[in-house]
Amino acid sequence: VVLHTPSPLSYSFKSAVPRPTGPAHFIHRCFLTTGPKPGAKSAKLQLRTRLAVTLVFGAGLMGVWWYVYSEKQQMAQRQRIEQLKKVALGQGNFCLTDHTGRRRNKRDFLGEWVLLYFGFTHCPDICPEELEKLSAVVAALDKDPALPRVQPLFVTVDPVRDDVAAVGKYVKDFHPRLIGLTGTEEEVKEAGRDYRVYASAGPKDEDGDYIVDHTILIYLVNPDGLFLDYYNRMKSEEQISESIRNHMKSVLSCV
Amino acid sequence: MTAPNSAERKACWGARDDLWKCLDEHKDQTGPCENFQKQFEASCPAQWVKYFAKRRDFLKYKDKMQTEGFTPAEGPKQKS
Repeated sequence: VVLHTPSPLSYSFKSAVPRPTGPAHFIHRCFLTTGPKPGAKSAKLQLRTRLAVTLVFGAGLMGVWWYVYSEKQQMAQRQRIEQLKKVALGQGNFCLTDHTGRRRNKRDFLGEWVLLYFGFTHCPDICPEELEKLSAVVAALDKDPALPRVQPLFVTVDPVRDDVAAVGKYVKDFHPRLIGLTGTEEEVKEAGRDYRVYASAGPKDEDGDYIVDHTILIYLVNPDGLFLDYYNRMKSEEQISESIRNHMKSVLSCV
Repeated sequence: MTAPNSAERKACWGARDDLWKCLDEHKDQTGPCENFQKQFEASCPAQWVKYFAKRRDFLKYKDKMQTEGFTPAEGPKQKS
């Protein structure tokens, strides 16, 4: 059996190599580098220019980054608008009658920010609560003169009972600018369909009263009539106001 | 039939809250809350009375789900 182990000979060879007698060399070099510098002043100046160059370069880099970032943001904004235009929501043009008996269609509200809510006047708790929230949001946004005005709209999902008079009486309980809209069953259905609103009347009791189960979202529509966002019941008054503010700002910055 | 106005709605909600508070305090025993129940029925349209009764059940169920969590029923045992 042959084992391959380093032979004692190689060891002895390694240890036989003479150590470099270095210390003298080291000392010599050290003296060279720590010796008195003739251009100390120019080195300081160099540091200053180096710092300036770094700063200018850094600022330039940040500028470029900022430019790319804002371009990207605007691009995302444009893409979102394009996507929203493709979303089959709120693309139609509803034709309804307001609570004063005037015929209104969606185009009448172009140029205004619109908050849209679907409900019915016999609604036990959710609609009044949501309409109160919506009114509070409009009132909060009204306080900021820099922001454009928001037009709140209420569309009934129960046109059989909610005629012009009933809607007129109902909207008085909420924001003074709230416009109530009703129409024929077909018109109301058409308006609801446009916003994918589900509405289904429940069984009637002895006195003919019934409850309509329906979608309880608040829709935000921009001045171009484009659906931008929606808010469910979990969203507080503050959250909705903040969201609308941001939507308004992003549009203003786009112009 | 006209819809309740703002004052009528508030009266109904007040009666509902009183009844619910009573039911909460008496662990859903209807006996001690009979007067509140009568007041509630007098203040709200019949349809709303039914609606709020269901709503209370739903809210209680929701609350239970949130505090105690959901334990899924044991399905058919799988052969191991």
